[in-house]
Amino acid sequence: MSLILGIESSCDDLAAALVRDGTQVLASVVQNQDDVHAPFGGVVPELASRDHVRHVYGTVERCLREAGVSMDAVDGIGVTGGPGLIGSLLVGLCFAKALSYQTGKPLLGVHHIEGHLASARLGDEPLDLPYVGFVVSGGHTALYHVETLSRIELLGQTRDDAAGEAFDKIAKRMGLPYPGGREIDLLAREGRGDAFDFPRPMLRQGFEFSFSGLKTAVALEVARQEREHGTPLPRAVQADVAASFQEAAIDVLFDKARRALAATGQRRLAVVGGLAANSRLRERMAGLPPPVEVRFPPVALCTDNAAMIAAVADRMLADGQTASLDLEAFSRVPLPSTLAER
Amino acid sequence: MSRPDCVDSRSAEETRRLGSSLGRALQAGDVVALSGDLGAGKTCLVQGIARGLDVPPEVPVTSPTFTLVGEYPGRLPLRHADFYRVESYARLAGAGFDDLLDGKGVLVVEWPELFPDALPQDRLEVHIALLAQEGPEAGGAGASSVEGQDPPRRLSVLGSGERGRALAEEVLRSWR
Repeated sequence: MSLILGIESSCDDLAAALVRDGTQVLASVVQNQDDVHAPFGGVVPELASRDHVRHVYGTVERCLREAGVSMDAVDGIGVTGGPGLIGSLLVGLCFAKALSYQTGKPLLGVHHIEGHLASARLGDEPLDLPYVGFVVSGGHTALYHVETLSRIELLGQTRDDAAGEAFDKIAKRMGLPYPGGREIDLLAREGRGDAFDFPRPMLRQGFEFSFSGLKTAVALEVARQEREHGTPLPRAVQADVAASFQEAAIDVLFDKARRALAATGQRRLAVVGGLAANSRLRERMAGLPPPVEVRFPPVALCTDNAAMIAAVADRMLADGQTASLDLEAFSRVPLPSTLAER
Repeated sequence: MSRPDCVDSRSAEETRRLGSSLGRALQAGDVVALSGDLGAGKTCLVQGIARGLDVPPEVPVTSPTFTLVGEYPGRLPLRHADFYRVESYARLAGAGFDDLLDGKGVLVVEWPELFPDALPQDRLEVHIALLAQEGPEAGGAGASSVEGQDPPRRLSVLGSGERGRALAEEVLRSWR
């Protein structure tokens, strides 16, 4: 039995979670930093500066309260060391170090992407290792061979835009509300996926991705449709664009995932990250022929969260990969990383 | 301020070449405000800038829209930021944006017009516009090279402040 407190602050959210045995989520709290300013009536630049540490305290406290456990019961503190924004990372990292120093609980420095890859192991039916891990989000599109949670090999990643970013930007271009990825998903159900023949970039080349050209092609088509129909586009046209774009993007993701399974000889696929919440992506991936087993994390754990950080930290604690109090934040370190050795 | 001056690019590779000469002209502390519509080729230009700053070719320079900032090792550190998804000045400050203005590296910002006051007055402004022409025909060869279907772009350069103006002149000279 092990109980890990996870803390994640790599980008714009603060998150804390308590996870038992690396799989069972007792509590997972995600606090948007903008919410933090709401009680003060909006933008307070002095508050926004580096003393966010105060807000971490509240987030961690709330997490412990929701889980109904005290710090005494915690076996280790896992924190995102990177990659991410140094300014944001330091908030979580400094707090985790201070807490580790104060309580004597071991500190574990976790790679953010490793966290996403481990999110398929959260829940009642954790996906067995090894597997192909597919990170599809606004910031990342990358395929990994996850042999164990400490042996992870990068197969390929995007050369320009992440897939989720293309979803959000095209939604915004058509004037759809935020978050745009979900809007495309909903709207696409009303449209024809073959209304427009958008490019399927890099469909045949290795495990690298490129979504910039697809995004541009869709933006040009939207501009042309606007010349014909006016702005904003009639809903039927929007739906056709959304559906055709989504099919093109998912064709690429599906094809790469299928070939990554073949190349690694794996039969298990974990699709993680914000875009893993997309219903059409789930439908297509679930259609991979047996014996392939496809797993998506619960929607709440697809986006950035601290439960996934705790899941990795649990494994690191078991392996004795604790960090010292001079663990540093890093902005950009690819996986496989040497974070655990720091 | 002088009037903006411009140069046209016919392909993504040409945009990268223009970015590369821009990258070679950059000095520590330089700030480049890079604007242009969705799909104009901003990240493509930054890939060229990275090349001009001797960022190792095996390091992929990707869009920082969601990660807010990408940092790359080169002749000078390249910081590539994006205001597209940023909701407030407070959020920018909270993310440690000021640290990027420490003068130790080169800062390139996409969608700078969303938070103009976050950038120093002394800067180089680069705007990329898609030149009006018909886009690729729907129903065309879907799997063909995307870059081959791209319309031409116009890159305008405008320097403000002493260093910004000098940089603009040097960049335009290298582009022509």
